[in-house]
Amino acid sequence: MSKTVLVIDDDRDIREVAKVTLELVGGFTVLTAESGSRGLLVAQEAKPDAIILDLMMPEMDGQETLAQLKRDPGTACIPVIMLTAKVHAQKHDLIARGSAAGILLKPFDAMLLSKQVCEMLGWGLSAKDEGVGDSAAR
Amino acid sequence: MLERYDGAMRREIRLWIVATSAIGLATLCVVSWLSYRSTRELIDANQRLAQVHKLIEDLTTLHVVLDDAESSCRGYALSGKTEYLQPYDAALTQLDVRVQVLRHDLVPDVNRTRQFQELEQLIQARLQVMRELVEARQTGGFDAAVRVVQSDRGKKLTDEIRQRISAMQTEERNDLLDRERDSRQQARTTTVAVGLTSVFGIALLVTAALVIYRVARESERAHIALHNAERIQRTILNSANYGMISTDTKGAILTVNAAAEKWLQYPSTDLVGSNVSKLHDEDELRARADQLTRAMGMPVPGDFRALVTKAKYGVADEIDCTYVRKDGTRFPVSLSVTALRSEAEDLSGYLMITTDLSERRAIEKMKDEFVSVVSHELRTPLTSIKGALGLLSGGVTGQLPAAAEKMLRLALNNTDRLTRLVNDILDFERLESGQIAMETQESDTAQLMRESAESVQVIAQGEGVSIVLGPVALPVKVDPSRIVQALVNLLGNAIKFSPPGGRVEFGAERNSSSVVFRIKDQGRGIPKDKLETIFERFQQVDASDSREKGGTGLGLAICRSIVQQHGGRVWAESELGRGSTFYVQLPLAEPAPQVTT
Repeated sequence: MSKTVLVIDDDRDIREVAKVTLELVGGFTVLTAESGSRGLLVAQEAKPDAIILDLMMPEMDGQETLAQLKRDPGTACIPVIMLTAKVHAQKHDLIARGSAAGILLKPFDAMLLSKQVCEMLGWGLSAKDEGVGDSAAR
Repeated sequence: MLERYDGAMRREIRLWIVATSAIGLATLCVVSWLSYRSTRELIDANQRLAQVHKLIEDLTTLHVVLDDAESSCRGYALSGKTEYLQPYDAALTQLDVRVQVLRHDLVPDVNRTRQFQELEQLIQARLQVMRELVEARQTGGFDAAVRVVQSDRGKKLTDEIRQRISAMQTEERNDLLDRERDSRQQARTTTVAVGLTSVFGIALLVTAALVIYRVARESERAHIALHNAERIQRTILNSANYGMISTDTKGAILTVNAAAEKWLQYPSTDLVGSNVSKLHDEDELRARADQLTRAMGMPVPGDFRALVTKAKYGVADEIDCTYVRKDGTRFPVSLSVTALRSEAEDLSGYLMITTDLSERRAIEKMKDEFVSVVSHELRTPLTSIKGALGLLSGGVTGQLPAAAEKMLRLALNNTDRLTRLVNDILDFERLESGQIAMETQESDTAQLMRESAESVQVIAQGEGVSIVLGPVALPVKVDPSRIVQALVNLLGNAIKFSPPGGRVEFGAERNSSSVVFRIKDQGRGIPKDKLETIFERFQQVDASDSREKGGTGLGLAICRSIVQQHGGRVWAESELGRGSTFYVQLPLAEPAPQVTT
């Protein structure tokens, strides 16, 4: 069974690109949410294997969403990869605090996104192979 | 400054008054002495004149008394009557008195004494002859007296006495004339000397008066000029957009300029005399005091001394801190403290110059927000575009016709270029504004060189360019990621401008207390007039480079900014048609032997 990844981003096009590449290249099952609050609900319900979370969003931003995810025992153990256009700001802070599993910079290379996610989460070749294999099989 | 000038003026006037008084007093002494001497001589001359007149009169009287004695004696000799002897006896008595008077009045010099003695002897001899005549008449009668007379001794002595008296009188008169001539000469000399001395004294007084007048006038002019300068200075201080507060050594405020008054919303009368620490945030003062205590290894109290301690010890001090207005609101300022010292280098107080940072902070905030927005708003659509193009190009959505793939590749390349441009603009802006702090650590130059070369290896292979790496291990204290970024930038340029099959040499060498990285290509070279400008923003050798070579025009500017923030420098040497060499010089962390690996 493929891993489930939740993509939370307020930009519909980015959600779409991420969904396509993670599904078709990475072979993951991809859920999406357009806001932090919506993402929290989806995460609580679906319990994804990983979350890719945009840092800069209106209303509830990525940091606040991350904080709430980590406060909720049901979602606290889900690894979160932050997606940000800010190259330097908060990067070290977030990683140093151990809240985020990694940082992905915008714009990302769509063909390499799945590989980067696997490397950051330590899913290794087996997870990736499994995902990619599933995708190829479909 | 005015006081110092006044002091100089006063000293000059004092000097003139003292000098004039001294010389005037000396002149007065000379004149007085000359006058005294002249008067003294005049008195002496008058006394002498009286003396000479008296002497001449004494001699005349003596002659008359002698004549009287002779007449009486002759009368007795002729008549034999004794009543003729009475005037004779009286004349003898008076003659003795006259001789004594003459002796008394005579000037006691050798010549006159001798003349007087000779005259006295003649008079005694004459008196002896007269006595002989009287005795002869008394004892021998008329005939005996005639014999005495006929002997002519009396006549000869009388003639000689007359001549002597006349000679003595003449001599006294001549002496008197000489003395009068000398006195007149002396009087003339004295008059000239007194005149000259008086003229000199008057000239001196006039000169002193003129000099004092000139000095006083200059002093007055200088006063006016200084007052004007002071007024201009005060106007400048009050119109300056800097807050200026001066204090004494205890931190009590002495003066406040208009800008500080306006910013702090205090009238200067409320500030003067109070301690400057009341204008500062207390917590900030305490924190700074703690910081100084640690840094200087001496206790610094959390009051105004937290602001002035460094300046007190002659260390330039400029800090960002917070000022508290009268109503308690706060605003950020940049504060520069200077110790004020007297001419003798004694500490007399402090001058605090402040710049209101409110506007600058607001601009920085706006700039940060702008950069953040640009960063987000440009990257977000780029992410979608690049992602979509990448997926299409990667064949995820199915195989595309060759022409479409070519167009896709073109679109993807330009998306990458746009991404690089956005990244470079943001990077450069942050570097220039100091927002990117260099996270320095002990690093090894050989390691930095290897990392840089590895980063561009794929690009070099793609371009058919070989990189000849000659790493040199030297210790430097740098932000390794930033230095690698700078070196990668230079290597990337060298590869881009190298012909296919070309070679890029990447070496380094130690130069005194620094290391110099060297990146040499075999490209087309750079004209001499462009060797400096290529490090400016968007300054490429050829305007078409950004299109043909995919550069953003910011790479070298970023490279220079990074190197400069490490205290180093970057420069290029080139020969047209034969390639270019870029150098990066960085200070070494500590002296170390050069080792080639």
